[in-house]
Amino acid sequence: MALLELRNVKKSYGPVDVIHGIDITVASGEFCVFVGPSGCGKSTLLRMIAGLEKITDGEIAIDDEVLNNVTASERGLAMVFQSYALYPHMSVRNNLSFGLENISTPRDEIDQRVNEAARMLQIEDYLDRKPGQLSGGQRQRVAIGRAVVREPRVFLFDEPLSNLDAELRVATRGEISALHKRLGNTMVYVTHDQVEAMTMADKIAVLRAGKLEQFGPPLELFNAPANRFVAGFIGSPKMNFVKGTIGEGGAFVSEGGAEVQMDTSRFNLRPNQAVELGVRPSHTSPADGGIPLKVRAVEQLGTETFVYGSVDGAEEFAMQLSGQVNIQPDTVQHVAIDAGSAHLFDLDTGLSCSK
Amino acid sequence: MSAVWDFMTRTQGRGGRLTWTDWLSYGYLFLGFLIILLPVLWLGLNSIKTQFQIESQDLSLLPGDFDRVARATVNGPDGREIFVIGELPDWVLNWSDLSEEERADQDVAEFLAGYDGNRLYALRSHLGQVSVAARRLIAEEGLPDWLNRYGALTPTAREAFDLDAVVAPLNEDQQRLLLEYLGQPPYEPNRIVTQALVTAPNPETGEVMQWAIPNPNATSEFFPGRAVDGSIEGVVRLPADTVTATRNVSPAWENYAEPLAGDAFGLTIDFTTCITNSVLVTVIATLITLLINSMAAFALSKYTFKGQNFFLVLILATLMVPATITLVGVFKAIDATGLSGSIWGVIVPGAATPAGVFLLRQYMLTIPDELLEAARMDSASEWKVFWRIVLPLALPAIAALGILSIIWRWNDLIIPMIAISTNTEAYTIQLCLLAFRGEQVSQEHYRLAMTVISLIPTTLVFIFLQKYITTGIANTGMK
Repeated sequence: MALLELRNVKKSYGPVDVIHGIDITVASGEFCVFVGPSGCGKSTLLRMIAGLEKITDGEIAIDDEVLNNVTASERGLAMVFQSYALYPHMSVRNNLSFGLENISTPRDEIDQRVNEAARMLQIEDYLDRKPGQLSGGQRQRVAIGRAVVREPRVFLFDEPLSNLDAELRVATRGEISALHKRLGNTMVYVTHDQVEAMTMADKIAVLRAGKLEQFGPPLELFNAPANRFVAGFIGSPKMNFVKGTIGEGGAFVSEGGAEVQMDTSRFNLRPNQAVELGVRPSHTSPADGGIPLKVRAVEQLGTETFVYGSVDGAEEFAMQLSGQVNIQPDTVQHVAIDAGSAHLFDLDTGLSCSK
Repeated sequence: MSAVWDFMTRTQGRGGRLTWTDWLSYGYLFLGFLIILLPVLWLGLNSIKTQFQIESQDLSLLPGDFDRVARATVNGPDGREIFVIGELPDWVLNWSDLSEEERADQDVAEFLAGYDGNRLYALRSHLGQVSVAARRLIAEEGLPDWLNRYGALTPTAREAFDLDAVVAPLNEDQQRLLLEYLGQPPYEPNRIVTQALVTAPNPETGEVMQWAIPNPNATSEFFPGRAVDGSIEGVVRLPADTVTATRNVSPAWENYAEPLAGDAFGLTIDFTTCITNSVLVTVIATLITLLINSMAAFALSKYTFKGQNFFLVLILATLMVPATITLVGVFKAIDATGLSGSIWGVIVPGAATPAGVFLLRQYMLTIPDELLEAARMDSASEWKVFWRIVLPLALPAIAALGILSIIWRWNDLIIPMIAISTNTEAYTIQLCLLAFRGEQVSQEHYRLAMTVISLIPTTLVFIFLQKYITTGIANTGMK
C-alpha cells in the first residue's frame, strides 16, 4: 500500500515551463485519473512519477520517501504504456517474467506469479507466443499482466485504452476497474477521455496547460466544477454556456435580454457582473416564454432527443430531452432553464461564482 | 520450390505476358548474374588445371591436356636422329612427374625388352636405366672401378686413364652403353619430350594421319609436325586450320590436396596455419567490432549527453580520411604497442569502424524509446537494457555489419602486410596467397586453388546470415 504525494512539482524544458507546480495527494489504494486535453502535461506528470522524466522542482514521494533522485528502475513502480511497449523479441511469458528476473526473484516464484497473472487476465493460452502474433486486446492484457506480476507499490497507466476499438475499450475499462478492486493498489491513470475518468476514478485531477484545475471525486467535479474549464470538460454531452450579466435582484440577463432568476443564496454576485451561465443539456426543457432557441438540428435517439441550435449569448446550445419530442429544425423553440442546477462563472476569471 | 519459381518468373502483370520492361529487367538481372558468376566459374575451373597446363598458358576452359606422344632425340655415330614414338603408356610419358614409389611399381626392364635400336636407346635414357645398366656391366665384366668416377673427372685427370683400351674388347651394344653412361661424343644424352598428338591431312597427299606438334594453342598459321608412324622424314608444315587435336579432361585435385596437406613443392608456409590465423582474426575481430560498435551506437542513439553531436561528427569525419593516408601512422602504432608480428596487430586496429557505428546508430534510432523505458520500469539496469532489449532488436543491423566485418577482415591485405609480414607463423590467408608468388618460383596452380578455398567462408557466411538482413523489422510488437 502506498501513499503518493506530489508537492509543488514543476517541470521545464530549458526556458519552457510545462508543469507549473502541482500538488496532488493520492491516498493508499486510491484510483486517481489525470484528465485533460492533449498537451496539458498529464503524461509528463505521469512519467515524472515513473522516474522517466527528471523533476525540475518540487518533490514526489511515496510513503514519505522522496523519490526525486531514485532512478526509474529502482522506484518499484509499474507502468502500462500507450503503445504497450511489449518486448517484440520475447515470448509473452518472458515479457511477464523479465521484470522479476531483474530483481532476482526465485525461479519458482516467478513461474507462480506469471501463471497467476496469466490466469487472472486470461492470457494463459498465449504464453508462448510472441507479441506480434497477438491482437490488440491481447497485447493490452499482456501489458497489464507485465505490470501485475511486479506487485508494484503504484500502478501507472498512460492512456492504455486509446489503441482499442470502442467496444473493447468499454470492456477493458471494466476489467481495469475490477483489477483495481481485487488488487487494491494505488493506481494513477492518464486519459484524455472524461468518460473513462468518470467511470473509473476515485479521484480525478483535471489538468490544463500544466496547471491543476480541480482535484476531487468525479461527482464533485460534475456537480460543483471549480471553473468554466472543468465544467466544460467534465460531463457528456457538454454543458451549455450563455453569456450575460447579473441584473437587479440577482437575475441572470442573457445578451438577448432573456432573464433567468437565480437562487442568490448559492452565489457570490455583484450587480452588473459579466458572467456566463452554465447549464447541462439535461437541465433544460421546452417551455413557453423561455429563452428563444433557433433550432438547427434534431437527433432522435428513441429513448431521448437532442436538440441543437443557438440562443443569444451562446453560439452552441443543446437540449437533452427524454422520450421522443416533436421539434422541427429551422424553427424557434423556447427553452426553460432549471435554475437550481445551473452554474454561474465570472466571464473574466472563469471561476465559479458558487459559494 | 514452387514459391521460388513463382518469384523468379514474376511479370509486370497484364495476363502473364512479358512487357518490354520485363525483358529489360530479366536481361539486366541475367547480365548481372553472369558478371558475378563467370569470373568465379573461370577461377574454379582454372584452379584444377595442372601446373603444366597453367604454365603453358592454355586458355581452354576445361582442365586437362591434349593427348600426348613422345618425341625422341637420339645421338649416335650416325649423328642426331629425331623421331616420334607412338602408343607409349601414360606412366612412361609422365615418368619425370612420378614419385619414387610410383616408379618402383613399374616393371621397367620388361617394358624395355619390347624395344630395340634407337627406340630402346631413347627410352632407356628417358627412364634413367643407362647408369643402372652400365654399372651392372662394369661389375659383370670386371672392368676397372675408375670408370664409375670417369664422368666426373677433369679433362687433365682423364689423361691418366686409357678409356679406348677398356672399351675396345666389348661388343657394340656394350660399347654404346658405356659411352652413353660416360657421355662421350658422339653419344650425348638422349632425350624424350612430349608433344601434342593431332590428326591432320598430309599436305602433299591429303592422306589423314597422326602428327606430333609442339603446341596446338600457338597462334601461328602453320604447325611444325612430325608423322607419328615415321613414314615421312623430317618436319612437315601443317596448316593450322586442318589440324584436329583431341584432349582429355582430368582435374588436378592435387592443387588442393598438396598445400592443404602441407607438402606443396617449393613452399615454406603452411596453408592450414594461414587458414587458422585468418579464422581467428576474423572471428575475434568481428566479435570485438560488433560489441564496441553496438555499444557506441547505443550511446549515440539512445542517450542525450553533452557533446553528443560532436562525437558523432568526429566519428563520421574519420570516414572522409582514406585508410591509405593513415597507414604509416597505423604501422607505427602497431609497432610501438608491440603487436607487430602477432595476429592482434591485425585485430586491434580495425576493431572500431566508423561506418559500423553509423549503421548501427541509424538502426537503433528506429527502436522505440518506450521499449527502453518499459525495461527500465521493469527494474532493468542500463547494461540489461542494452544487452536484453536493444541488442536483440538491432540484430538485423548487427548481422549486416557482421557480414561486412567478416568480409572485410577475411579479405584484408593491407593491414596484415604492415602488421605481420615479418612473421610467417602469423600469416593470414591473403598473405599466404601472396607468398605463392615467390621471388624464385611462381606456383600459380596452388594460388588459384587456394584462392577458391579462401572464397568458401565468405560465401557460407553470406548464405547463412543473409536471412537476418530481411527479417526482424516486421515484428516490432508496437501497435
